[in-house]
Amino acid sequence: MQFPIAAKPPVGIVFDSAMRRIDDVLALAMLHGFDGKREARIAAIGVSSGDLRAAQFCDAVRLFYAGATPEVAAMFLHSLPVGLADGKPAAESRMYRAAYPNTIKNADDTADPGTLIRNALMAQYDQNASVVLSGPATDLAKLLDMYGEKDWVARKVRLLCAADAGAWADPAGQKVLAEWPTPIVTVSRELGEALPFPGESLEKDFAYANAHPIAEAYRAYKPMPYDAPSWAMAALLFAVHPDAGYFKLSGSGNRRELVLDPQQKERVIRAYVEMASAKPVPHQPRHPADEKKKEAAK
Amino acid sequence: MITKKALPRRTFLRGMGTAVALPFLDAMAPALAAAKNSAPPVRMAFVYVPNGIIMQGWNPDYEGPLHELPRILKPLEPFRQDITLFGNLTHNTGRALLDGAGDHGRCCASYLTGVQPRKSVTNIKAGVSFDQIVANHVGKQTRFPSLELGMEDARQAGDCDSGYSCAYTNNLAWKSETQPLPPVLDPRALFERLFGNGTALTPAARARENLYRRSILDFISDDTRKLETSLGPTDRRKLDEYLSSIREIERQIEKAEQVNAQIDPHMEKPYGIPADFAEHFKLMTDMMTVAFQSDLTRVITFLVTHEGTSRPYREIDIPDGHHPLTHHRNQPDLIEKVTQINSYHMRQFAAWIAKMRSLREGDGSLLDNCMIVYGAGLSDGNRHLHEDLPTLIAGRGGNHFRSGRRIVYRKETPMCNLFLAMMDRMGIHVEHFGDSTGRLDALDLT
Repeated sequence: MQFPIAAKPPVGIVFDSAMRRIDDVLALAMLHGFDGKREARIAAIGVSSGDLRAAQFCDAVRLFYAGATPEVAAMFLHSLPVGLADGKPAAESRMYRAAYPNTIKNADDTADPGTLIRNALMAQYDQNASVVLSGPATDLAKLLDMYGEKDWVARKVRLLCAADAGAWADPAGQKVLAEWPTPIVTVSRELGEALPFPGESLEKDFAYANAHPIAEAYRAYKPMPYDAPSWAMAALLFAVHPDAGYFKLSGSGNRRELVLDPQQKERVIRAYVEMASAKPVPHQPRHPADEKKKEAAK
Repeated sequence: MITKKALPRRTFLRGMGTAVALPFLDAMAPALAAAKNSAPPVRMAFVYVPNGIIMQGWNPDYEGPLHELPRILKPLEPFRQDITLFGNLTHNTGRALLDGAGDHGRCCASYLTGVQPRKSVTNIKAGVSFDQIVANHVGKQTRFPSLELGMEDARQAGDCDSGYSCAYTNNLAWKSETQPLPPVLDPRALFERLFGNGTALTPAARARENLYRRSILDFISDDTRKLETSLGPTDRRKLDEYLSSIREIERQIEKAEQVNAQIDPHMEKPYGIPADFAEHFKLMTDMMTVAFQSDLTRVITFLVTHEGTSRPYREIDIPDGHHPLTHHRNQPDLIEKVTQINSYHMRQFAAWIAKMRSLREGDGSLLDNCMIVYGAGLSDGNRHLHEDLPTLIAGRGGNHFRSGRRIVYRKETPMCNLFLAMMDRMGIHVEHFGDSTGRLDALDLT
């Protein structure tokens, strides 16, 4: 018997990022924060730079927020794999020097980002997914080239939010800008710089974990102290809460720009810190019935 | 009437109500060469086992050339150069995708169709299955475009899994979006279909045949004698072996019928179905062998038992139902039992592969000219996972596949990509099927 769904679940976020800047890493943390607080759901995570270390980091962060070891994850956690574009980045990112437990040994443990995003979108309610793009639009361009995919995107996605206008500079970006069937909002350069993530937050808000992967990546990215521009975080915040009045929109039609609302500056930064530093919500493994009985008998 | 030394490929030995197709004989080669078609045809079959597989016993911990095989695959050790193991193939359309429970119904219905079936008990809808697309193209060249076979319960109505019709769990092949092709379960029915002249035997005719215990070989003896005089010694031996195998199938069916009649004359099962699983499996695969050998069909689907089955396996001292066991909650004793069931299935399959490899055809074996997929629509039956589906191909698709390897693709690689590659081997070139994203690479010799 099927039960009627009372309401749609929170918006599903497809996060496709190069994972080359610290704001990508902070946005990834925010996404897990939103997911833990049931304000959004992680639909898919793709790494467009082809950096295997970045994909491993994304997987390690998944385990961190689930409170699971790779062994427990293999037994109990079930989520789509990380997407990883073909090719390698020119240089290794210093952000991923620290190694964390993860389930990715090589590229076979990741998915083609186009296929991954397609599969993830098929599991979303209509108009209940948003795509956050930070970095080149190559994965999304490939998605549009897949058979029948433009229709799926139009049906499932309500918004594409890009962290950087630079994404539209190359042929893949131009294709996405021209053919993407939903509204596109691009974060303005000034906005990301005007709303920096406060570096001082690391020492207090992330201190709950000894080796917090996000905090360690932040420290490894640049000599401390520094505040980080927030393009990807702004894109994610708008994708999750487009009607919450965090930002203003310039222009009109289906291609618009996200701009700063000076009155919302503190509120936005508070939201960044709150979500990026949200504590993990550990996975509760389901015990076999007889183990439950034993526990109850104690 | 057989008068030429260059035999046509489609030669039948005929007798009263009987038409027995011939295997590929050397005497056919000149005629075939003249027709610029000297290579034996490529055939494909799907052997589907339900409720997933214990993947720790299936996946080797290495890629590349096959050496030591994991426990469930052990029976295939002698044939490891003839098989290709695939890793990470996925059926996304078998997943819930907002439709809730019902993974068994979905995984079976989507397995060869590549589409998400409509969740319904009465208003069924899936898609044309890949085997039927192939059958539509190559089926005109054979007596049967395809054969749909099984070994258990072919109910087509009712709710078999959380709101999914039994039509979804009990069929692999779909002729159209709304028309599944139920499998033939009864070896007697299959035998008469393969070797009859197209008309069903009346009960009276069957009784008469049984009374005199005559074999179909008796009916075709005149044609057989005539043919033998025109064959060389190799072909004569091949023909003799082939006809002997048919006679052996007849004997097995008769034996099953006699045993069944003694056990319970009122049993619902058709009398030709052996009570023993292994015997039933052997009978069905023996006839599949003959069907391929004599080019009666090039496309077979074989639903070993239906998806979600709770069949016990008392043959191997497992009285528990298969499906309940697969929800083992990681308890070692239950995992062990499921592993034994998986291994038992594999032993039967390996025996069939041995038979297929033993038969010479052209420059190689019958197996060389086949693509026999063995797999399941779930990997982990405990968690109902639709990724990294247990999948292997026995045979080389006409010496085209570089076998003897394990190929691990990237996660989420659609199973339909394999189907596109297989369609290529069957001479059908389409750009898209189901949720395919391209052809499976790294498969061919080239």
